[in-house]
Amino acid sequence: MVILETRGLKYSYPDGTHAVKGVDIKLRKGKRIAFVGKNGSGKSTLFLLLNGTLKPAEGRIFYDGKELAYDQASLREIRKNVGIVFQNSDDQVFAPTVYQDVAFGPVNLGYSKADIEKKVDGTLEYFGLSGLKDKPPHHLSGGQKKRVAIAGIVAMNPQAIILDEPLANLDPVGADELLDVLHELNHMGTSLIISTHDVDLAYSWADYVFFMVDGEVIGEGTPDEVFQDDELLRQAHLKRPVTFDIYKEIERRGLAHGNRQPRTVPEIVDTLKPPELMWVEVPPETREGDILNLGVLHGEYALQCPYEAVNARVLHIHEGGWAIVELTRHGIKAGGILIYDMDRFDPADFDGFLEKENIDIVGAMGKKSKLMAEKNSLCVDISTGVIDRTILMALCGKRCMILTSGGMIPHSMQRINEYIDRSGIALNVTVVNGH
Amino acid sequence: MTKMLDDYALLSPLRYTNNWLKIGVVGFGILMGISSQAPLVPFSIAICMSLATLIFGRVPPKFYLKLLMGPAVFVVFSIIIIAFFFGGGPELFGFNVLDYHLGVNTGGLSMAFLVFSRTLGGMCCLFFLALTTPMVELFSVLKKTGLPDSFIELSMMMYRYIFVFLDVAWCIKHAQTVRLGYHDLKTSLHSMAMLCSTLFLRSWEQGEKTFVAMNARCYDGKMMIFEEKRPVNFSEVALSLTYMVAIVGVWYVSNGMLEVSFW
Repeated sequence: MVILETRGLKYSYPDGTHAVKGVDIKLRKGKRIAFVGKNGSGKSTLFLLLNGTLKPAEGRIFYDGKELAYDQASLREIRKNVGIVFQNSDDQVFAPTVYQDVAFGPVNLGYSKADIEKKVDGTLEYFGLSGLKDKPPHHLSGGQKKRVAIAGIVAMNPQAIILDEPLANLDPVGADELLDVLHELNHMGTSLIISTHDVDLAYSWADYVFFMVDGEVIGEGTPDEVFQDDELLRQAHLKRPVTFDIYKEIERRGLAHGNRQPRTVPEIVDTLKPPELMWVEVPPETREGDILNLGVLHGEYALQCPYEAVNARVLHIHEGGWAIVELTRHGIKAGGILIYDMDRFDPADFDGFLEKENIDIVGAMGKKSKLMAEKNSLCVDISTGVIDRTILMALCGKRCMILTSGGMIPHSMQRINEYIDRSGIALNVTVVNGH
Repeated sequence: MTKMLDDYALLSPLRYTNNWLKIGVVGFGILMGISSQAPLVPFSIAICMSLATLIFGRVPPKFYLKLLMGPAVFVVFSIIIIAFFFGGGPELFGFNVLDYHLGVNTGGLSMAFLVFSRTLGGMCCLFFLALTTPMVELFSVLKKTGLPDSFIELSMMMYRYIFVFLDVAWCIKHAQTVRLGYHDLKTSLHSMAMLCSTLFLRSWEQGEKTFVAMNARCYDGKMMIFEEKRPVNFSEVALSLTYMVAIVGVWYVSNGMLEVSFW
């Protein structure tokens, strides 16, 4: 399903600058989309066109298959559905208090007073801003202001949110928290569109990437495809992502499996295995490049550990259903990841629980959980990059627990399960205090 | 950045007390102080309000004194003039300046004393309000008084952007200072003029950006909602009433005594 589409979109500023020169794009629903390009490549202008703030000189925009008209009612409709978060929060947060700013959208959408209150209080709590609701914006930090700006948009329940340079001017922890929030919003079904010149962010975060240069889209595709294309990167004045660079270097030295696109640190670690080739019998529909799960081996077939999960990548198909496969072995250890729902947090029981479950490492994800952990003086070992780092710890045989809540629970389950599927390592993941 | 009055008010423990109660107490204090002929009433009001500001509002005493010193300079000058040039009755002391006789008499002195006490009382009342009630709380009060919505909304946005521009102005000022923009009078004037014109252009641009941002969030002529849940608890009312009764008592006793002495 395409949520936004443009055909031949052109726009010039009154001073004659051609900011957008004929852009044809299709943005799919529920995806995380990144527009990557250096400063002044027309990303911001394109964004203002997408929610009807600017009117294109030529070309058309379609929202949900319907062409965007520029009368009041249609503009209102598109602006309700496509929220935009500006790069500078001071441009966006204009009310004297946080509460009033978040309420601005719902008030203008004409909700009833009770609905507004419910919506605003819910959104503030979700963003960990409840304690700041009566503060004026000039008493907030940059990261807090950014969260207020996003909360103001989320309170309107948009289908898609456009964020212009969302991580600009944020400290690393603030950026990480914001990414958690964005992941969760996306998990709940909101399409996200960001602009950035940070290739590492686009590579690790996005599902789909557009490269923009001088008001034109010069390339698009999944991050795995576009960031491999050195010529494209050169044209776009961009560099390779760091994780990809590291992987390429170790691959060139023969220390990693070839043809992978590791996006995160656990994925790089996962590529670090000497290749091992083997003849196996494969089902007839198997093709070269497929991954087969050979299950758990033990006894004389397990080389490094008592039990090993073995995955095989098909390199070559031979006659008679036989194929040469490259094996990846992973020792199965006692490591595991538990997810703790902070909405059901029980302070009396918590320490006993850690003892009973034999937890080595505790991570907290999401602003709300972090604040709760701090309030209850829980000892948190990991608070940034939580999922990646718990996976790494679990791979080393540690028992980890992630404190989180709400939509981040299925989101983290999904990300860990994706890792399990891709790597073939059976980590044990459970929500410990769920239903 | 220096800490402003509004910052103290925002962090004040009395911020969430009912605004009308605070305004009532302050209004009462000012009216009683002005209507009293005896300096005792405004003095007691000044003491009560200062104690309330310092104890309940937890304003640092040093800061509070500094705040009072500002207007105090003007007050001292005016009461000296009043003491010398107004009133009648027997002269207390006097001297000649270039054949012109200047003297202080009892009437002038008591009038100066009354003016001083009234000013002090009024100042303490207003500082109490300013240090416990930030602008953001006053907006809902303004709304209740029936002022036009557009007026309140404009003032809300002005309030918000005062701080944004203050920040911008500070940044520009620092940028100019590090490049010796204020090293003598001529360059200072020049730099100040540049700062002002840049600030003007910035505010113009900011206006346009804000308009875009408001439209992007479906601006429909409706601006903000106002939180008015500021419950009054019993102890606050009791304390305020005690204070009011005490002041009224002092008023009657002191003004009555004055009348007796006039007879």
